[in-house]
Amino acid sequence: MTGKRQVARGTFVVGMRAPEIAAGVRAGQFVNLGWPGGPLLRRPFSVYRAEGEHIEIVLKVVGAGTAQLLAMEPGDRLSCLGPLGRGFDFGNGGRQAVLVSGGLGVAPMLLAARDARAAGMNITWVHGARTAAELCAESDGDTVIWATDDGSQGIQGTAVAAAPDADVIVACGPNRMLAAVAGRWPGAQVAVETYMGCGTGVCLGCAIPLQRGGYDRACKEGPVYRAADVDWPALPSHLPYAVTI
Amino acid sequence: MTVDMSVALGAMKLRGPVLAASGTFGYGTEVPLLDRSALGAMVSKGIFLRAREGTAPPRIAETPSGMLNAIGLQGPGAEALVRDYAPRWAEWDFPVLVNINGESASEYGELTARLDGVAGIAGFEINISCPNVEQGGLYFGNDPHAAAAVTEAVRKRTKLPVWVKLTPMVGDIGVIARAVESAGADALCAINTFVGMSIDINSYGPRLSFRTGGLSGPAIRPLAVHLAHQAARAVRIPVIGIGGIMRADDALEFLVAGCSAVQVGTATFVNPNAIAEVHDGIGAFLTAKGFGSLDELPRYLPRD
Repeated sequence: MTGKRQVARGTFVVGMRAPEIAAGVRAGQFVNLGWPGGPLLRRPFSVYRAEGEHIEIVLKVVGAGTAQLLAMEPGDRLSCLGPLGRGFDFGNGGRQAVLVSGGLGVAPMLLAARDARAAGMNITWVHGARTAAELCAESDGDTVIWATDDGSQGIQGTAVAAAPDADVIVACGPNRMLAAVAGRWPGAQVAVETYMGCGTGVCLGCAIPLQRGGYDRACKEGPVYRAADVDWPALPSHLPYAVTI
Repeated sequence: MTVDMSVALGAMKLRGPVLAASGTFGYGTEVPLLDRSALGAMVSKGIFLRAREGTAPPRIAETPSGMLNAIGLQGPGAEALVRDYAPRWAEWDFPVLVNINGESASEYGELTARLDGVAGIAGFEINISCPNVEQGGLYFGNDPHAAAAVTEAVRKRTKLPVWVKLTPMVGDIGVIARAVESAGADALCAINTFVGMSIDINSYGPRLSFRTGGLSGPAIRPLAVHLAHQAARAVRIPVIGIGGIMRADDALEFLVAGCSAVQVGTATFVNPNAIAEVHDGIGAFLTAKGFGSLDELPRYLPRD
């Protein structure tokens, strides 16, 4: 761990030195973190920034495990497995990308902006939260349209409602928000949140119900999906611990 | 000096005593970083004759020192296994056994007949202990007659090694162990997961959609050591110990308790290289104790 800072009420960014991951990670991919004395299973986190030999993740304390992680200090060692999963694809992008995030869904968006820009796209980013105090307002220079449920910062209402249309839509946030994304833009790329066991494709614990029937793995085929491919009503929307992917 | 870590499980010779447990290693192609040279053998994810979707999410929940899972034996079915995975296994330098499942004894037999003789498949682990399917699974595992009937149905259709994976959810594991030994099993795997339940107090209901799940991880280790030991005392065929092995010392507990080999499962979820580390740790222990081979490890196995 190389750093830790608060970016919104109850929301922190944790930095770590992880050269191989920093060099290879794409937006929407995640790392699976373990730490001494921590819970049995690792916890997955989207990569928030990658620069030089360092990466950052976004952390919100929701249980004993995340509280332990937040209590760690720069210099402490974590076990960091990644980059894992399939990230956003800007390959055949078009000209304009709209990034839509809600709450902890901010996590993959800085890298999404980076990767979209590298693919030659213009970016509009809409980020929402319940209230101004919970809004992570870092942007690395991109112009961000803010939205809050209570109107305390930016547009009053949801990020989905505030976002314009575009060739490419990329979204991350609570599953209920992503279901709304699917309703408005079936072709959007969305990063889902779910429980996860191994993160490497073997435990089949992170099953995502699909519209065509059956399940696949958020850690392997996901966590990024075409919005219309997910069977949203069958995907649990309330998670008792933070899974910021 | 290198230690001889090889083990003989009946006619099957393994280069090491640490095996990958079914359902924790996929089809052997997924886990990154693993040093495969340490693998004694691999047991593939449980399979039915036909494809299965598995259970609805949430499928897993972490519990103190353990995890509950209810995957429901999601899998592609026998034909896809033969087509997509067996050819790759045929090129590997360690044996792959298939964990087989059915809703009736005859379905186990039918599946065995389909897989027997397929290049890359070195044997079968009969799953009569999955707690997460509506039909079959655990039902066969806690009745000695049903357990023997399934074992016989498989035994009749193959000359390859047949292992039987036992459930801990029984009154006397020795009774089941003897029943499947008599029915022709070559080895026993003890044990599968315990049935458990975890409640989300905020939603007033179970944390798993299947309601219950199989408990694995260090939480079950002392229970597993006891049951593996009881099974080993009850039979003459080899017993493969399973349950919460995270490191070499844990595996050595099972080995001293009378097991011939061990399977590592949940640990691989946490540490993709767990099997290699357990293998190397056993070797280091044997060396430190002055043993030249695993066979020299003293066993605690009093016969009644």
